[in-house]
Amino acid sequence: MTDVLMAILVAGFTSGALYALATVGLSLVWGSMGMLNMAHAAMLTLGGYVAFTVITSLGLPVAIGFAGAIVAGALAGAILYFAIVRNLLQNDKSTFEANVMIATVGIGIALENAILLTYGGQPLKQPVSIAGALRLGPLTLPWQNLLIIAVVVVMMVVVSAALGRTRMGRAIRATAQNRDAAQLMGVAVNRVYLQVLMLSGALAGICGVMVSSMTQLSPPLGNDPMLKAFIMCVVAGLGNLPGAIAAALGLALLESFVQYALGARWGFPSLLFVVIAVLIWRPSGLFGHAEIRRM
Amino acid sequence: MTGAAAKPPVLQLDGIVCGYDGLDVLKGISLTVHAGEFITVVGPNGHGKSTLLKTISGLVPLRGGQISIDGRRLSGKPHETAMLGVAHVPQGDMLFAQMSVLENLLMGGYLAPDKAEITRRLDEVYALLPKLADRRNQIASSLSGGERRMVGIGRGLMMGGRILLIDEPSLGLAPLIIDQVYDVISQLSKAGRTILLVEENPARVEDLADRLHLLDDGAIVWSGKPAELMARDELLATYLGG
Repeated sequence: MTDVLMAILVAGFTSGALYALATVGLSLVWGSMGMLNMAHAAMLTLGGYVAFTVITSLGLPVAIGFAGAIVAGALAGAILYFAIVRNLLQNDKSTFEANVMIATVGIGIALENAILLTYGGQPLKQPVSIAGALRLGPLTLPWQNLLIIAVVVVMMVVVSAALGRTRMGRAIRATAQNRDAAQLMGVAVNRVYLQVLMLSGALAGICGVMVSSMTQLSPPLGNDPMLKAFIMCVVAGLGNLPGAIAAALGLALLESFVQYALGARWGFPSLLFVVIAVLIWRPSGLFGHAEIRRM
Repeated sequence: MTGAAAKPPVLQLDGIVCGYDGLDVLKGISLTVHAGEFITVVGPNGHGKSTLLKTISGLVPLRGGQISIDGRRLSGKPHETAMLGVAHVPQGDMLFAQMSVLENLLMGGYLAPDKAEITRRLDEVYALLPKLADRRNQIASSLSGGERRMVGIGRGLMMGGRILLIDEPSLGLAPLIIDQVYDVISQLSKAGRTILLVEENPARVEDLADRLHLLDDGAIVWSGKPAELMARDELLATYLGG
């Protein structure tokens, strides 16, 4: 029984780590820009394929593959900003949220099809994998799962430090909380939006490498993590980063337990059930809270 | 402010026109603020006082006329205006609600050249507003109205700007708190800060302001010393409800 419980926990934490990485990127963009980036899934896929190309086709080390995925994701974020977001921001602000969502759906479809044309539709094996497992007494912890959890923890620490302790991070948080006030302080909010999209793209890129290392590379690779990341964003409260991480881990563990207890096909419906329940009982999310104002 | 008018102006507005949608709110405002002066624009609600400050800081786009800081024409972009030394303390404070008091103040120092300068400004703000030092780790949204106003002023001071724009500092506060806020503003003025303040009640600035401009329906209808306005019952009755 302990073996089974441990297997569920390891699977849950691994999925949770991957979901958290996808969720943080999505939530960061929503929280600071009010933008639901529907191209996030394709950016995640792009990262996976770039790492594959760097490692397999160019024969470079795995670390360079990771770096390539990060750079490709960040560049995709920058291109998205210059090609779409910057122009939409110059138009009527009240229509930005809807317009950018539709525009990024188109970008996502275009990018996914570009990948399909370039690499074909057949699944490819991501060469970022470590065989074997760490054995601690009766416990068996696969190295691949440990690698994913370790990479995600490192990324979360880096993002937290960047947002919490740097001038850039403070400007991002300030812009998210009050755009006009941030501008009055001298923050160039357009530059902040560019930084946020690049950071989110970099996270998506590395997430794509990690997800494909557990499954296989295919053009729709990012769709499932993106859908689940969106569910986790809603459950946590859109734009709430610590909440998004907690929701990702909690829901992934729930999914793993439900899959074990009721069968794999019930995993995703259980997440949908949770998100519907949250939307009914706490529409602002589990970690969303009303602003306190005293006069 | 003796001799202030002889100095070159810090802020100069030449016939500025601006508004929202199809409506012009400001209809050709011209005024000048010299270094060290305390200028106040008074007027009834809804006649363009806040819009005036928002236009100077770039939050509301200019439709006509021009605004200069130290002789340099403003681009109309808020962050570039801040770089030229315009520190705006907006109405309603506009704090970063989920940040601590300290983080709000540090955002004021966003454009400061180095850490030493930020520390110097922070010490200055804490010396003027010691309560902020006690509250430095408190989240801004949990502060009282008076405390939020003080953070707003402190954040403006952290910008170290050439001119401080203060929008209705008494709005929504209890009389005792208003006195405290104006005591701080008085200290800033005595320390030589250049201030452009908008206020509905001229009595609040009677002993502080060097000059008053009376704003009505988007135009300046009278300018002069505070005591002169307070002696003009017909102006007070016509424009400020007595």
